[in-house]
Amino acid sequence: MVKALGNIDRRLIYLILIVLVLWPLVKPIGLPVSVGPWTRDVYNTVDTLSPGDVVIMSLDYSIGGAPDVHPQAVAMAKHVFEKGGRIIFMAFVDQGVIFIDEIVEWAESTGKVYGQDFCDVGYLAGIETAIAAMASDFYVAFPQDRRGNVTNSIAMLSGYTGIQDTKMILEFATGNPGPMEWIRQVYNLYKIPMMAGLVTVMAPQTEPYYQAGQLFGILAGLRGAAEYEIASGIPGKAAAGMDAQSLGHFVIIGFTILGNIIYAIERSQKAKKTSEVRG
Amino acid sequence: MTSDLGVWLAAIATLAIYSTLYKDNPVLKLFEHVFVGMGAAWSLVQGFQNFKTRAWVPLTTKGQYIFIIPILLGLLLYSRFNKQYSWLSRIPMSFMVGLGIGLSVRGAAESDLVRQIQAAFAPLNSLDAVILFLGTLGTLLYFVFIRGKGISWIQPVGMVGRWTIMIAFGAAFGNAVQGRISLLISRLQFLFTDWIHLIAK
Repeated sequence: MVKALGNIDRRLIYLILIVLVLWPLVKPIGLPVSVGPWTRDVYNTVDTLSPGDVVIMSLDYSIGGAPDVHPQAVAMAKHVFEKGGRIIFMAFVDQGVIFIDEIVEWAESTGKVYGQDFCDVGYLAGIETAIAAMASDFYVAFPQDRRGNVTNSIAMLSGYTGIQDTKMILEFATGNPGPMEWIRQVYNLYKIPMMAGLVTVMAPQTEPYYQAGQLFGILAGLRGAAEYEIASGIPGKAAAGMDAQSLGHFVIIGFTILGNIIYAIERSQKAKKTSEVRG
Repeated sequence: MTSDLGVWLAAIATLAIYSTLYKDNPVLKLFEHVFVGMGAAWSLVQGFQNFKTRAWVPLTTKGQYIFIIPILLGLLLYSRFNKQYSWLSRIPMSFMVGLGIGLSVRGAAESDLVRQIQAAFAPLNSLDAVILFLGTLGTLLYFVFIRGKGISWIQPVGMVGRWTIMIAFGAAFGNAVQGRISLLISRLQFLFTDWIHLIAK
């Protein structure tokens, strides 16, 4: 029995995981989701925005990490627009513009006007150097937006001289560049309040920057997005996935415990056999 | 089921990639190569757009000849494909490395050192602060390798650091698992919402 369990086919584990993750997506259970302090801090800070405030949203994530990070960006863009904030979309990862397009398409479908409520200056190559260039002179780094307009002719940017006129920075990342690069090149020099929306795996390594006050909050993965949706009172795709997330974790925890029990039993049986042979 | 060709292609690609869960197969390999190829092509197009709008257009239409220098440096990077002239690629490479290091060091001292040390000096007025203090102290002492008379206390305090590091690894692993499950949820939502309409939008 122990041996059979120890040699369980991995495909069976995958099947159990997929079935248990799919089940609550089809038939939601409604497990409660609490809003943690990281997300609460992000929500409360964004909630202080006044109409006309300019916010930078930097979508520095790739397709591989988008399921974790993109729902965060969508939830936060909704909140910023709801507060009357104006968004400058930019990306320092080439795939980021794919997700800017998705949010822009949604924003325009809700009546937001390009050039007045938001603009899209696109992707700038150079990673950390590019962030430093943008911070040092916005209009030199982005002379044109993605629609071919000269940047300093965009209506919402009249009176916007550069990074120092930014109310806050919402940085979404799956790697490099990420919050560390932004803190080094922007926060340290200009002290613009900044948050980080991250793939879950980056959250523990970024937490020290939150504790040191360099970030006003962190959104960690799909869970962070779900918490933000719930805090905003607009549950979306991320919140809908939380039952599935919880059941998925139960499966992993269950198999981890089972694997350890089997390992302990096998080890004690082996030790017993060795002592019988010797003795 | 949808009649959208794009959704069908994405669904087939998703199923092809997930077929690895059963076993390695040629369809998986095909879609892996397609994914890598598309990613490379996308990067190339975006890079070219950057070159066009930020260097070529200002050079040719506005007479900003200063852009000849970065363009030349960029071209020199390709000299590495020729054995005779490959040494030329070291010029732009050294420029990029120097600039990158200079920029990151400028900010790293404050963000990664000064501010972190300041944050570690929090008043010990809560359990969180005490754990943070002991964890930081223990972790730093775990990497102190001197041993001898009068400093024998370093090793046991270092053990606290070892446990702190283990707990941090555990948290990182838990987060990695959470991230992978999120990816699965996203794909299942796509397959069963956008493709076969089993889940309501």
